[in-house]
Amino acid sequence: MMSPAALIRRAAPVLACLGLLAVWQVASLVLKNDSFPTAIDAIRAIPDILGDKESLINILASLRRMAIGFGVAVLVSIPLGLLMGRSRGVAAFFNPLLMVIYPVPKAALMPIIMLWLGVGDVTKTLVIFLGVSLPVIYHSFEGAKAVEEKMLWSGAAMGLSPAQRLVRIVLPAALPEILTGCRTGLVLALITMITSEMIARQSGAGNILFNALDMGQYDTVFAMIIIVGAMGICLDAIFERVRARLVRWSEPQFDMPLSFS
Amino acid sequence: MTVVPARSSEWVRPVTSREPASAIIEIDRVSQVFQTSARKDHVALSDISLTIEEGAFVSILGPSGCGKSTLLYIVGGFVSPTSGTAKIKGHAITGPGPDRGPVFQEFALFPWKTVLGNVVYGPRQQGVRAAEAEAQSRTLIEMVGLKGFENFYPKELSGGMKQRVALARTLAYHPEVLLMDEPFGALDAHTRTRLQNDLLNIWERDRKTVLFVTHSVDEAVFLSDKVVMMSKSPGRIRQVIDIDLPRPRRRNELLLDSRYQKYVVDIERMFDDGDEGGPAS
Ligand SMILES: Nc1ncnc2c1ncn2[C@@H]1O[C@H](COP(=O)(O)OP(=O)(O)OP(=O)(O)O)[C@@H](O)[C@H]1O
Ligand SMILES: [Mg+2]
Repeated sequence: MMSPAALIRRAAPVLACLGLLAVWQVASLVLKNDSFPTAIDAIRAIPDILGDKESLINILASLRRMAIGFGVAVLVSIPLGLLMGRSRGVAAFFNPLLMVIYPVPKAALMPIIMLWLGVGDVTKTLVIFLGVSLPVIYHSFEGAKAVEEKMLWSGAAMGLSPAQRLVRIVLPAALPEILTGCRTGLVLALITMITSEMIARQSGAGNILFNALDMGQYDTVFAMIIIVGAMGICLDAIFERVRARLVRWSEPQFDMPLSFS
Repeated sequence: MTVVPARSSEWVRPVTSREPASAIIEIDRVSQVFQTSARKDHVALSDISLTIEEGAFVSILGPSGCGKSTLLYIVGGFVSPTSGTAKIKGHAITGPGPDRGPVFQEFALFPWKTVLGNVVYGPRQQGVRAAEAEAQSRTLIEMVGLKGFENFYPKELSGGMKQRVALARTLAYHPEVLLMDEPFGALDAHTRTRLQNDLLNIWERDRKTVLFVTHSVDEAVFLSDKVVMMSKSPGRIRQVIDIDLPRPRRRNELLLDSRYQKYVVDIERMFDDGDEGGPAS
C-alpha cells in the first residue's frame, strides 16, 4: 500500500498535465481563434499523425539523428571533460575554445554547416552533437576536478596507473556530476533536433510541424507539439531512472521535506 | 629510558633490544615548504632526518599542524619534498607504490563501492583471484568489527566505521610499510582499544613496518618501539624516544607497569615543557 503522501507525489505530474490541458481547453474556447485549436481537437489529431506512415518515418528519422548526435557527443565529451578536469595542460588548451563556442546558439551555426555539409542528416546530427557536447564536457570537467585527491592517492598506492585511475576512480567518482550534464544534454538534444529541422526542412518531426504551420493545419501543429513534448518527458523520465540506479551510492538517503529538487 | 636528541646532526641510531634490523625507510634532511595563497612561504617541515628500521613500529606525535601528515605523504610518495631525500630500502622514493599502504585521516574510501568492494579492490588490483581476495577481505572486515556491513555503501557508515574500512582496505593488499594517519582518531574508547590490540596482533604476526601518526601519548607508548616527538612552526623533530617495553604487550598488564606509566608521564611533561604546549587532543 502506498501512503497518501506517496500517492499524491505519484499522481502530481498527471494532475499537472490534466490541469494544463483543462486551462488550454477553456482558453481556446473563450478566445475562439482559428490558430488556437482546443486541447481536445489537438489530441484527436495525434492518432492521425502516428498512424500515418510518412509521419512515422519522419519522427523516427528525427529520433535516430538525436540518438546518434547524443551518443557520439557523450562518448567524446566525457573523456574530454575528465581529462580537462585532471590535467591543467588539457584544460588550458580546450578552455578558451569552449568559452568561445559556449554562448553561441548552436542553431546559429547551422547556415554555415549547411553550406559545407548540405541539408542532410550529417548537418542536423552535427548540430545536435554540438548542443549536447558542451554541458556534458562542462559537468564532466567539474566532476573530475572535484575528485578527492586522497582517493587517487589510495588508488596509486594500490598500483593503479594514471590511465587506470582516470577510468576506475575519476570516472565513477565524477559519475553523478557527469550524469547531471547528460540529462541537460538530453533535453538540449531534443531542442536542437527540432530547431535543426526547422532551419533545414526536409524530414523529421520539426518538418511535419512547420509544414503544417505553413498550411494552416493548426490541429496538427499542436498535436506535434504534444508529441514532441511527450517524447521529451518520456526520454527524461527514462534517463532519470537509469541515472538514479547508477548513482544510488551517492544519493542522499532521505527525502528532504519541502525540497524542490 | 633512552632519550635520543633528534637534531639531525646529532642523530644516533638507537640500539634496539632485538637483533639488529636494517633500515627500511631513511629520511634525510627533508624540508617541505608550501606556497600559501597569501604568497608567503610556509615551512611545514624543516630539516627532518629519521631512520626507520624494518619491522619497527614508529609513532609520530605532535601538535596539530606540525607536519605529521605531510611527512607521511612524503614517505608515501604522494608529495615530493622541497629539499632532502626519502628512501625506501635504499631506493629514492619517487612515487606511490603497493609496498607502502596509506590509511588517510580522511578515509578516502571509494563511495561507489560497498565495504566489501573497497576492501577487495587492492588485492584484485594486485592480481589475487576473485574468490580468494573476497574470502580474505571478509576475514579482514570481520576483524575490524564490521561483519554484517559488507554490502553497505560508505555513505551508510559512521565516521568510525569508515575509518575501520579504510584500515581493512589497506591491510588487504599487504603493504610492507603501513602509513597510518590518526587511524583511530574517530573511534570510541572501546573500539579504539580493540583495534589497537588487533593492530598489535597483526603487527606481531607479520612484523610490518608501521609509521603511525597519533595525538594520543598512551596510544603511542602502548604501540610503539619508537616515538618521534615533533614540534610546530616549523615542523621539526624534537626528540625520538625508544620505548623499551616487553612484547607481546597486553594492555591490562601494561597499564599497571610502572615503566609504561613513566614513559607516558615523561612524554607528556616534555610536551608541557615545550613552548608549543601539549599535543592537541
Ligand atoms: N597543500 C598545502 N598547501 C599549503 N599548506 C599546506 C598544505 N598541506 C599542509 N599545509 C600546511 O602544512 C602544515 C602541516 O600540515 P599537516 O597536515 O602535515 O599537519 P598535521 O601535523 O598532520 O596536523 P593534524 O594533526 O591537524 O592532522 C600546516 O600548517 C598546513 O597548513
Ligand atoms: Mg594530519
